[in-house]
Order: sequence, then C-alpha cells, then structure tokens
Amino acid sequence: MFKWIKKGVVFNPTELSQRPDWMNEFSQAPNTLIFDNFVRVFFSTRPKRDNDGQFNTYSTFLDLDKNDLTKIIRVSKKPVLELGERGCFDEFGTYPFSPIKTDDGFLAFYAGWTRCSSVPFDISIGVCKSSDGEKFTKLGNGPILSSSLYEPFTISSPKIRRFNDMFYLFYVSGSQWNVIDSNVEMALKIRMAKSKDGFNWEKVNKNIIDDSLGEIESQASPDVIFKNGIYHMFFDYWSSKEFRKTKYRSIGYAYSKDLVNWCRDDSKAGISVSLEKNTFDNEMVAYPHVFEVNDKIYMLYLGNEVGRYGFGLAELEGKLQ
Amino acid sequence: MRWTKLGQIFTFDESPFTDRFISHAQSPQALVFGDFVRIYFSTRKKEEGNFVSHVQYIDFTKDFKKIIDYSKHEVVSLGGLGCFDEHGIFPFNPINVGDKIYGYTSGWTRRKSVSIDSGIGLVISEDNGEIFKRIGNGPVLTSSLFEPFLVIDGFVKVFNNTFYMFYIFGKKWCEPTDKHDSERVYKIGYATSRDGINWTKANRSIIEDKIDENECQALPTVIKIGSRYHMCFSYRSMIGFRENISNAYRLGYAYSEDLITWTRDDSKIDLTRENNAWDSSMMCYPNIFEMDDEIYLLYNGNEFGKNGFGLAKLDK
Repeated sequence: MFKWIKKGVVFNPTELSQRPDWMNEFSQAPNTLIFDNFVRVFFSTRPKRDNDGQFNTYSTFLDLDKNDLTKIIRVSKKPVLELGERGCFDEFGTYPFSPIKTDDGFLAFYAGWTRCSSVPFDISIGVCKSSDGEKFTKLGNGPILSSSLYEPFTISSPKIRRFNDMFYLFYVSGSQWNVIDSNVEMALKIRMAKSKDGFNWEKVNKNIIDDSLGEIESQASPDVIFKNGIYHMFFDYWSSKEFRKTKYRSIGYAYSKDLVNWCRDDSKAGISVSLEKNTFDNEMVAYPHVFEVNDKIYMLYLGNEVGRYGFGLAELEGKLQ
Repeated sequence: MRWTKLGQIFTFDESPFTDRFISHAQSPQALVFGDFVRIYFSTRKKEEGNFVSHVQYIDFTKDFKKIIDYSKHEVVSLGGLGCFDEHGIFPFNPINVGDKIYGYTSGWTRRKSVSIDSGIGLVISEDNGEIFKRIGNGPVLTSSLFEPFLVIDGFVKVFNNTFYMFYIFGKKWCEPTDKHDSERVYKIGYATSRDGINWTKANRSIIEDKIDENECQALPTVIKIGSRYHMCFSYRSMIGFRENISNAYRLGYAYSEDLITWTRDDSKIDLTRENNAWDSSMMCYPNIFEMDDEIYLLYNGNEFGKNGFGLAKLDK
C-alpha cells in the first residue's frame, strides 16, 4: 500500500475575506502544470446559485511555491475560460479543466455543461489553447469529444496526457440514467481515447477499469502518471445508488504497462477519509491528481462535499511502484 | 430540371393515422420495393404537453393511386432517458445496405436555454423495413468542434463505393428579442464513411447563402443523373418564417460534378409555390428518388407538412 502523508487543506475559497462573485465556494478538480519556479493548480469554482437555483462552474488557477506546496503565491483574478455561447455544450460550466504543455504553448481539455429538460445536464469535452498558460481560447464553439454510438451522454472528467508521442485522453462516460428515489442518477465509467495530433480522436469504446461495486459504480478523475516503468492511475469511485445518502467517495488505484489493459487494486491506493472529526476530508476524499515536483510525488485531492471547502495535499512516502 | 406536380398524395386528416396521432406527416422519404413504394414520414403525438415526432410509413402502389398498407405499430422506438433521440425522431432516412435497411434517424432532445438539440442516429431493419432497431444508444453524427449543435437531417447515399451523408448543422442561436424567441441558423454540410457507421465530417458549409448569412438551409437530398449530382433542399429566413410567406420555406437547388464543389442555382428547380394550393405558402423537406426509370420528388407543403405531403415527377 502506498503511504500518503496528508499536509492539510491547500486552498479553501470560502476562507478568502474578499473573493469575486464567480469564486464563492468550491475548488474542484485540481490539475497542475509545473513551471520553473512555481506549480500552477487549475481548479473549478462556483458563484452562488443562479435564478434557476442552479450552479455555473468556472475554471481558474492559483500558483504554489515550488519549494513549499502548501504556500499560495498567487490566485488568478479571472476565470481562464469563458462559458459557451447560447445553445453551446459549455454554456453553463467549464469543469473539470485539464491542461498540458505542448511544443508551442498549452492545450487544455475541459468538460462543458449544458442543461437539459428530462435530465439535469449533459456534458461533452472541449479543447482550448494558450500561449502563456493563463488565458485560454477555445479552438471552436463545439466539443472535441462528444456522445457517440456507444457513449450516449455525459462525456466528462477529462485528463489529458502525452506518452510516447501519442495523446491520451482519459475521461468518463455515462451509460444509463437511472431514476433513484425520484432523483435521476447515472453511473459513470472510465474510458479512453487516443490521438496523434490532439484533435482527431479515436475512442477505445470500452470501460478500462473493472467495477468493484457492480454496474451502479460511478468512476471519475482518471489521473495517470508514468513512474518507475509503469503507468499508475488514481481515480475516485462511489455508488451511484447510495451517493446522495452516504456522500461517500473513495480513491481507487490501477496500474498498466500498456495504457490499455489496467489492473485495479484499490488496496494499494493508500489514502482515505480522515478519522478526526471536523476535518475537511472526514467524509470524502475525491478527485485525485498525482504529480511530481523536485523528485517527490504529491497528490492533490478534494475533501467533503466534492471540494466545497477546498482541496488538500498529500505527499507520498517512498516510491510510486 | 423541369418537374410536373402531381399534387398532394397523402392527407393526414383523412388517413388511418388520426387514431394514434394528432397531426403532421413530415419529411416523406421513399424506399422502393418490387411492386410498391414505402414512404416513411414523421407524425406527431402530444406527450406531457409537448409535441413528439414518431416514424410511420405508408405503402403506395407504384402509380401512387392506392395505399395498400400502412404501419400500425412502432417502427422505431424513441431513445431512452437523456438520449439524443428521447423527444422525437424527425426526419427519418431509409437506405438499402446489403440485405438490411439502414435508417438514419434525426433525434430530438429538449434543452433549457434553447428549445432543442439533436443528433443523427442509426437504426437497422432486418424485416424489410417494418421495424428498426438501434445498434447503440448514442448518435453516429453529432456536434463537434466546428459544428457546435443541431446536427440533423441526415440523407445518405452510396456513390463510388463510399457512403455520403448530407446533413445540416447549427451555426448560431440568436438572442431572443421582444419580437421573436431565440431562433437558430443552420447550414448544409456533408460527411463520408466506408461502412455507414463511422463518419468523417468535411467540416464546411457546402451551399452558399442566397438570402443572407442567417439563411437556414434544411434537408438536403441528392441524386445522380448521368454524370452530374443534383441536390434539392429547403431554405428560409431566420425569423418570420412561420407567418410571413416571403420568409417561409421554399425549395433550393445546387449541382456538382464531384460531390465536393456545389453550384447553387435555385432557378433550375422549377418548382414553386402556387396560389390557393396545398403548397401555396410553403414548400419544404424534399426527397428525390428513382423508381422504374422515373425520378420523383416528395415534399411537404403548407405549415411544415401539418396535413400531409405531395409529389412531383421529373420531365424526361
């Protein structure tokens, strides 16, 4: 089992004395870009509920001191990306947001949210680019990865990676909306697509991580890192049937040698809810992101209520192998 | 192209479908059998306060003088909860592929900030087109980077061993004003495929605008005659198209030698709206097909086909 040393909350927007309307609460789905002198953490945040009682979600970033990742040196004053135009897939939210460095700047893949009539939302994945890693521009008004014959809706939770000159997009898709206790709920499964150029994608069209809770299991945040000759994936999972009651999400783990065939072994994940009361992560640990800085492996993750009160940091003791 | 109008050949109000549906026989599309021609169309029910389109068909004798049979069952089921085709299928495009019949569905789903979105699905029949079944719950063609919404109206034909799909995609939803709701603008595009399932979009609008940049172009239909490809479609203005005849749907025409470059010339279609007729204020949703060496064009008339469809025949 991996041993993670928790370092506590890194950022909680509700503790900011002055904060913009669009950053009222939540800091969800942390993903990093490593710069020479700092670590940029992209995350997603929300204003108060709108007139329809619904949330919009914006993505933005903050910078951490590379030598002390619990120290924030800058918080962006703007979202990195605008919401989509009327009728577009990303009209009501751009979340999560997964950036990657490319040969001539940065690309980011993000999930765009629209609102539906019979179900609460639909989601597709969009793409945007940036020269400075601060302001991103969409490459088009539509999604780069959306529903298809065997993935009918909610294409979400993108994590973009590049290995061996190929782009890999890990994401989740829904298979069926279920009415549970008069709420519509969906089981999301981790999927993958490949691309040579980042624009033309080929879906693998299968669930790449076995279920541990059966068909009703939902999976998200398929976060992959290559270390010590092996691909490691940390993700989170929960029971789509019980989630509203239990509020419980766990972090799982799988490894692979070829990125296609994954062996799930949650017993190795090594991180779970805190046992102390009144901590930010005593009910939930979710949405892991694992990265390397100064030869150390870290994880950013969400606490209770899927990051309503911030994300935390943990440091790996020992090797990722 | 000189056409002779044969008049309205199907009147919804006088049909046996009034038992199960309330109105409309939209986007008639033909599939020719040995001794009859089957015409699929979309007709409406009202479900929980909303109109929902369902696919039905009627079988005509080949002289169109007699209806010999019609669907009394569900031809294609609607999509499940949250699917792209949950709230209706309209239009429906049938094509023979080997010993099966493929049906390209235009699925509708209702949205919050705009009225609808759509996608193009595939259903397959192995019983001569009576019942079609899905091979997956999602669309085969949907929104993408440069076609952000409203991918619909697929019309598929095989030319030179390649499947071609002509369809339309949304360009924008305009903001609502005091005078009108949020209205949409859409253009004709195309995609190609080796198997009819996996498609590659050309990612461009192929028919130039005639009215203005907000011209809405709908339901392309294509036929090859000799060495030339002919396309018919309907087009209208973005606003005022329901009440103002000069903004309403009429038929447009374009031709191509290579399926890539199209020259628009509406004057060549020679099919116009006539006073005091079933198609006096509107002509839309054309479908061109060949039967026994004759070329026909099915289309809808007034009120988007609320009360049926008619036929024209190409002069030799």
